[in-house]
Amino acid sequence: MKLNKNATKFVFLILHILRAKLCPLLVPVLCSFIVFQGCTQESSTDENEGTTVVFKHGKVAGDPEALNALIRRFEESNPDIKIKDETLPSSTDEQHQFYAINLEGRSSDFDVYAIDVIWVQEFARAGWLRDLSHILPLKNRDEFFHGPMKAAIYQDKVYAVPWYIDAGVLYYRRDLLEKYGFSPPKTWYDLVRIASEVTRKEPNLYGFIWQGKQYEGLVCDALEYIHSNGGDILIDSQVVIDSPENMEALRFMRDLIFKYRVTPVLVTTMIEEPTRHIFGKGKALFMRNWPYAWNIFEADDSPVKGKVGVSILPKFSGHQSSPTLGGWHLGINAYSKHPEAAEKFIEFLTSYEVQKTLSLTIGYKPTLKALYKDPDMHRAQPFTTSLYDAFEHANPRPITPYYMMISQVIQPEFSAVISRTKEPEEALKSAREQIEHILTVED
Amino acid sequence: MTFVKGKSHIFFLAPAILIMAGVIIYPLLNVIWLSLHRRLLIFDISKYVGLDNFGFLLRDDRFWNAFYNTVYFTVISVSLELILGLSIATLLNRTFTGKGLMRSIILIPWAIPTVVSAKMWEWMYNSDFGILNYLLGVNINWLGSAFWAMNSAIFMEVWKTTPFVALLLMAGLQTIDGDLYKSARVDGASGWYIFRRITLPLLTPVILIVLIFRTLDAFRVFDAIYVLTGGGPANTTETLSIYAYKVLFQTLQFGYGSTISIAIFICVGIITIIYVRLLRRGME
Amino acid sequence: MRRLCFYILLLIVSFYCLGPYLWQFITSLKPDAELSRLPPILPDNPTFDHYVSIFRAHPFFRIISNSLIVACSTTFISLVIGSLAAFALAKLDVRRKRLILVFVLSVSMFPAIATVSPLYIIIRALGLRDTVFALIITYTSFSLPLTIWILTSFFRSIPHEIYLASRVDGCTVFQSFYRIILPLSAPGIFATAILVFIFSWNEFLFALTFTSTVASRTIPVGIALFPGLHEVPWGDIAAASVVVTIPLILLAFAFQRRIVEGLTAGSIKG
Repeated sequence: MKLNKNATKFVFLILHILRAKLCPLLVPVLCSFIVFQGCTQESSTDENEGTTVVFKHGKVAGDPEALNALIRRFEESNPDIKIKDETLPSSTDEQHQFYAINLEGRSSDFDVYAIDVIWVQEFARAGWLRDLSHILPLKNRDEFFHGPMKAAIYQDKVYAVPWYIDAGVLYYRRDLLEKYGFSPPKTWYDLVRIASEVTRKEPNLYGFIWQGKQYEGLVCDALEYIHSNGGDILIDSQVVIDSPENMEALRFMRDLIFKYRVTPVLVTTMIEEPTRHIFGKGKALFMRNWPYAWNIFEADDSPVKGKVGVSILPKFSGHQSSPTLGGWHLGINAYSKHPEAAEKFIEFLTSYEVQKTLSLTIGYKPTLKALYKDPDMHRAQPFTTSLYDAFEHANPRPITPYYMMISQVIQPEFSAVISRTKEPEEALKSAREQIEHILTVED
Repeated sequence: MTFVKGKSHIFFLAPAILIMAGVIIYPLLNVIWLSLHRRLLIFDISKYVGLDNFGFLLRDDRFWNAFYNTVYFTVISVSLELILGLSIATLLNRTFTGKGLMRSIILIPWAIPTVVSAKMWEWMYNSDFGILNYLLGVNINWLGSAFWAMNSAIFMEVWKTTPFVALLLMAGLQTIDGDLYKSARVDGASGWYIFRRITLPLLTPVILIVLIFRTLDAFRVFDAIYVLTGGGPANTTETLSIYAYKVLFQTLQFGYGSTISIAIFICVGIITIIYVRLLRRGME
Repeated sequence: MRRLCFYILLLIVSFYCLGPYLWQFITSLKPDAELSRLPPILPDNPTFDHYVSIFRAHPFFRIISNSLIVACSTTFISLVIGSLAAFALAKLDVRRKRLILVFVLSVSMFPAIATVSPLYIIIRALGLRDTVFALIITYTSFSLPLTIWILTSFFRSIPHEIYLASRVDGCTVFQSFYRIILPLSAPGIFATAILVFIFSWNEFLFALTFTSTVASRTIPVGIALFPGLHEVPWGDIAAASVVVTIPLILLAFAFQRRIVEGLTAGSIKG
């Protein structure tokens, strides 16, 4: 047909134009690539015997071989189950967005998935998690840390199993504190006093750095002041965010920057890594961060090797220190087609032996309390076992399905306070109104 | 002398229309449908509310804050991109050694993946170890102060997208017949006169395209600002897309999030119509 | 003197465009401990560790090849389909031309975050999850608006007499299209090719949602997978960004001559 002939000629002309300057082999190479792709496309259809359980999780810190070895061990002892391991970017936003898109579309593409501690309530309420109460009877629940376990229970049912725990800690320069005869601060005002004195005498040193960018981490940081002053955001669904204790706590945060001047104003742009870099170069006396940074500071080429100490976060006098709880849980997709196999896999991953292996190989912080008294752990991972107190005291963020909405409300308010756009009273009052609006919307 | 009347253009147009319609129809209908509902999984709500969401939108302060931020961002960044892109295109529109190299170099900002370039600029803007403060010898809190944050984002966006403008304008400049310039110079016209009376009018169609697409993109900007500031500090850099993203994917309000998306679509549509009207005169 | 001014301007423009990229390159040569030290600008102990690491610790070759396939296919298909449509809109007698152009434009007026959810459902329903085809189809539809608009403009700028003359000479509509009109609009075609290629190369949101394993993972998602839970291997990311930008520069360099050559045929005059 004339049309066909002309069309093919036309296609070849375009090809010719495009190839004018490119290697003539490009097109055949591309074609072979496509064919190659088609042949090696991994099929997700099950084989005749056995089921495939898809495990979706954010990237595992450290050597991926550690997790692969464990997966192989599981497959050996469960010959009819195959595990397909799929990683997502570690950005929590991207993971949350991915799960939202998939689960809103009722996808069964994954069976076991790792979720941030603050999502469990929300996902449970949305019907995206399978009830796991039968694999975690009451007596077993006490084996886990109290905080993560509480965050995983919604309406008296367990919806996820704690896998990895995280909590804020205070890093300090041991060498500098010793030099000036100080010990790690117990209260926030102690910290201010020590930081002011030392930075007066040491040039080119920031007193105290923390994460102040407008993101979830800011809420984590701010709660450490709020909770350690006896305040809270929600108590039994009552909004108490504008209490005097909270105002004092927020005002203190702002004063750290502008009144006491121990914190540089650039914290309003900082997340975890930039603060880690600054402290790791030796430019700060105190830093609030998660425990992950310790290994980096103790690496051979680190300028602060051997000079760093870690202690539990300070508090306001008369109250208790309250690090914010982080960490990840494992849950089963409510739409999964292989829930029993998935349950076996979760039991495996959260068992004593496996958590111990993960901790010894890649430094995961386990969620089973008994591991922190294990002699092997003491020997090989003394830093991890020393964090027991911090994890015991770690306080979760408000445990409610509406937490993500609440977080979206308070992030800009807290940010407004520490950037001096709003007074604490105004910000907290506005936050209270918005949170109340959220909680009463249920018609 | 056979002039085909009418039918062959269907074959030319069909593939494009079919592909685009096929891919966009379902999402479009889905978004419209969702925007008329309150769909909040965590409240167990999924019901039809008609235009209620739109009514709420008009009273939503945060929406208007985002709208204002977006307009500011769009106007300033597109103007700067146009001016810079036009200057670069004119500068490079002559013969000189290294011409090929130069023309490839200017594409680099556009070529770097956004996931990287936003983080790269975040690194450069860092007040402590960022190269910008170091080279300028100052200590400005680029991303943390309400004043500087939005302008830093604009600067980064302009840097990144000027190549797009320059590339299209260069291609457009190429289609202008060199003889026109020659005869104008023979008549004694100055460089500026030539530019204003010959180059600009002939370049208008391409400028129109550049304006439309750059405005579309700037109005919907997300990645650049989200990585840089997350919408902060205190929501001073929150644009409409960031607000929609947070509503959709952070708070899982699929209904209202779709409403905001439609609002963005309508705004962009209005702007496009204005452009096309304005420059229709320039095109004929 | 004017020449000197010109070269100074060139230098400023080069620095403006190249500066941050050079800084990335320098960063990629710094060992981890020196990453955030400033001064000095240049590394004390330059190392290629990061370049080695990105290929060893990640299946980067496969990722780059995926991106190559997706980008080339998208560019090719968009150009073919887009130029056909643009030709019709520019030269043929089409009713409701403006309406079609506006419809075409409206496809790209939607924020991507609104369309990604429903599109994902379609992709899954078609069984295209985790394939390059899903990306190719999506990217093509979102590149078509730009392609069609640019090429329509370039086709329009070719005087109508040339088209009519070629028809008088006995060409069919098709022949006129590919023998006469296309070559004359080479600048537009190559400019569009570069833009579409770069768009496909760097697109992130759809790539993240539609792919799940290395089978179809593209570069932006690959780079997003570099960071660990809190830790960001900035040296590796810098090295990766240097590596993945080079093909684009080479492509641009190869194409930019064709953007310029354009009208050497001379059929325009007289």
